[in-house]
Amino acid sequence: MAHRFLARRIWTLSVTDVRCLPSSAVASSSRASFLAPSRTLAVSHAVRRAVSFNVQDNEDFTERVINSDLPVLVDFHAQWCGPCKILGPRLEKAVAKQKGRVAMAKVDIDDHTDLAIEYGVSAVPTVIAMRGGDIVDRFVGIKDDDQLDSFVCKVIGQ
Amino acid sequence: MPPIEKDTGKNELKTKIQKLIDSNQVVVFSKSYCPYCIQVKDLFKELKIEFNVMELDLMENGSNYQEMLLEMTGQRTVPQVFINKTHVGGCDKTMQAHKDGSLQQLLSGEKEVYDYDLIVIGGGSGGLACSKEAAMLGKKVMVLDYVVPTPTGTTWGLGGTCVNVGCIPKKLMHQTALLATAIQDARKFGWEFDESVKHNWDTMKTAVNSYIGSLNWGYRVALRDKNVDYVNAYAEFIEPHKIKATNKRGKETFHTAARFVLATGERPRYLGVPGDKEYCITSDDLFSLSYCPGKTLVIGASYVALECGGFLAGLGLDVTVMVRSILLRGFDQEMANRAGAHMETHGVKFIRKFVPTKIEQLEEGSPGRLKVTAKSTETDETIEDEYNTVLIAVGRNACTDKIGLDKAGVKVNPKNGKIPVNDEEQTNVPHIYAIGDILEEKWELTPVAIQAGKLLARRLYGGSTVKCDYIHVPTTVFTPLEYGACGLSEERATELYGPDNIEVYHSLFWPLEFTVPSRDNNQCYAKIICNKLDSDRVVGFHYLGPNAGEVTQGFGAAMKCGATKEHFDATIGIHPTCAEVFTTLEVSKRSGGDITQSGC
Ligand SMILES: Cc1cc2nc3c(=O)[nH]c(=O)nc-3n(C[C@H](O)[C@H](O)[C@H](O)COP(=O)(O)OP(=O)(O)OC[C@H]3O[C@@H](n4cnc5c(N)ncnc54)[C@H](O)[C@@H]3O)c2cc1C
Repeated sequence: MAHRFLARRIWTLSVTDVRCLPSSAVASSSRASFLAPSRTLAVSHAVRRAVSFNVQDNEDFTERVINSDLPVLVDFHAQWCGPCKILGPRLEKAVAKQKGRVAMAKVDIDDHTDLAIEYGVSAVPTVIAMRGGDIVDRFVGIKDDDQLDSFVCKVIGQ
Repeated sequence: MPPIEKDTGKNELKTKIQKLIDSNQVVVFSKSYCPYCIQVKDLFKELKIEFNVMELDLMENGSNYQEMLLEMTGQRTVPQVFINKTHVGGCDKTMQAHKDGSLQQLLSGEKEVYDYDLIVIGGGSGGLACSKEAAMLGKKVMVLDYVVPTPTGTTWGLGGTCVNVGCIPKKLMHQTALLATAIQDARKFGWEFDESVKHNWDTMKTAVNSYIGSLNWGYRVALRDKNVDYVNAYAEFIEPHKIKATNKRGKETFHTAARFVLATGERPRYLGVPGDKEYCITSDDLFSLSYCPGKTLVIGASYVALECGGFLAGLGLDVTVMVRSILLRGFDQEMANRAGAHMETHGVKFIRKFVPTKIEQLEEGSPGRLKVTAKSTETDETIEDEYNTVLIAVGRNACTDKIGLDKAGVKVNPKNGKIPVNDEEQTNVPHIYAIGDILEEKWELTPVAIQAGKLLARRLYGGSTVKCDYIHVPTTVFTPLEYGACGLSEERATELYGPDNIEVYHSLFWPLEFTVPSRDNNQCYAKIICNKLDSDRVVGFHYLGPNAGEVTQGFGAAMKCGATKEHFDATIGIHPTCAEVFTTLEVSKRSGGDITQSGC
């Protein structure tokens, strides 16, 4: 277990690096790019961390959500879901307020059905809070700004 | 029946029964006088197989046994046969198992180990219902669903035809068209608004498809929640108990099961003339078309043709329907013609007795321009015209030709690709069943496929004996003026009972809500067909008017209960409605009495 944990840490680091690359340098965040030597350059850009990102595939989810050293809010949403379109931006705002203490991952359930099914999503929007690869909280449906703020605060342990 | 009082007694009894089942190769719960029980016991005697019999009628607490068996197996009746701990069922099931060889297999104790109890091929109306029901009854179930893209590249999600390219988008687009009529009527009721009322195809298309997206997701979740394994891959048999599944990336997996249900549905037929697959669309494309189709030629006179032509015209498009012979084959022809005539009075053009011979592209675009050449079915005459879109709706083909049925030994009707089954939806291969649109001479309707799928699962795994009843199925064609029907057409009733033995009562009617806008008088029509030899039982029900589905559903229930003309007459109407016309039908067709409604 300890070994796995360590491996995960290292992995996470390199992934974080990639995420911080200026968008021009990171050709659609392909896996190969963080193996490239340019990685070391990236560290200086750490401040430009994006608050939210779209999950690309299962691997991406493992790397950027499960192995994240920050707590992550996973917003399971769908194109056809009206309430999702309201919640998404609100959640993004609530996450932005935390100035990098929490990340937000967006999962389109039609593009990544297996993930949504695996995480027990039945209705959308469903938001799952993950820390250290564990689900620590979740809610379904819409919430107002204040409710979202307190949800986010709880997740980051304030 | 003495209730089983204490839980402890109940549990003891259960343990006792379970012990009997576990410690004997064959156990028959029986009643000494029951002929079916005797038949089963005789079978085992004949096979020279030792069996343990419990004659419930000769035992003091036999009825408690029977109650407990019901709880354990879902079956109340005797005989109940258990072989090597497996519940075979009653007499029919035992005889069937003897016939198909599964009895010997059970007896020999060497149960083949399959990956699944049941694999369902096709995740549409029937397949989903069947797989969920079987899983709820504790079976290990897999369902495979895969949509082969149309020639123009359209595909869709889980749920089959009805949800994605059938009932649901069709009805929503029909509703869109009805709203246009409502907007026109509104002025007559005093609503005042600016002239410009326009329709935006993209808004409608997006809204409809969003709703479908939510349904696709709902189906997916239901499969997870009911523990059905779902695979998005194309299935074909490679052995009688084994299928190959190929996903969209071409990856193959293999799965085995004790039983299979085929629920692959149908896809639109093409014409087989130059240009059809290249330039024409079908209902599989229409509902998600990214552009408004413009001036449209609908080829065919199926209900799909009339419904699609109807709502496109209702959106204000220039629509022509090209018909080879009759409208709505199989439906009551008087009703079909009235529905068609109403469309004609509302601007839909009909070209009758012509068939297309080629379709050429004049200009690419969204939509482009197409030239259609057609020839008369009676003379040498040919005609040509230009359209933006050509929609083919000349019928549907069963998806049974590319699923390896030859490898499984399943017989298919070579003429139409349909699968013949017995009254339990079983094919000629005993462990393979078929439901839904691919069945021969059965209604091609979603609720029918669902009912058949559910009941099949309950018979296979729940000890039920209830079969799907394909008689008195109510249905509605959503033409601009809707047509609801249940039971026999006038033609079919005449053929079955003879013209002298039926009485047809009918009436035209004018819906109250049509009076103020002063439209469509003498177009709505009600008709029932009664069997004179059977107390004037209503054997055919036909309604052409607004809300036909809502009107017809309840009468369907009445007909299931065997309603007669007298029952209809004795029913008090709801006033003012359209449906109330059926409680006051007085004029028989034979009498030739006047049925027109005079205006004010
Ligand atoms: C335009 C239109 C309008 C309709 N309107 C109505 C209506 O108003 N009311 C009504 O009751 N009925 C309506 N129907 C009919 C209704 O849609 C069908 O009766 C119903 O869908 C039949 O269900 P099914 O389970 O037999 O097949 P389907 O629902 O067609 O499902 C079959 C599924 O199996 C999949 N499949 C096929 N082969 C394979 C394979 N080898 N491997 C994996 N998957 C496979 C197909 O892609 C499909 O998803 C309409 C149909 C059409 C076309």
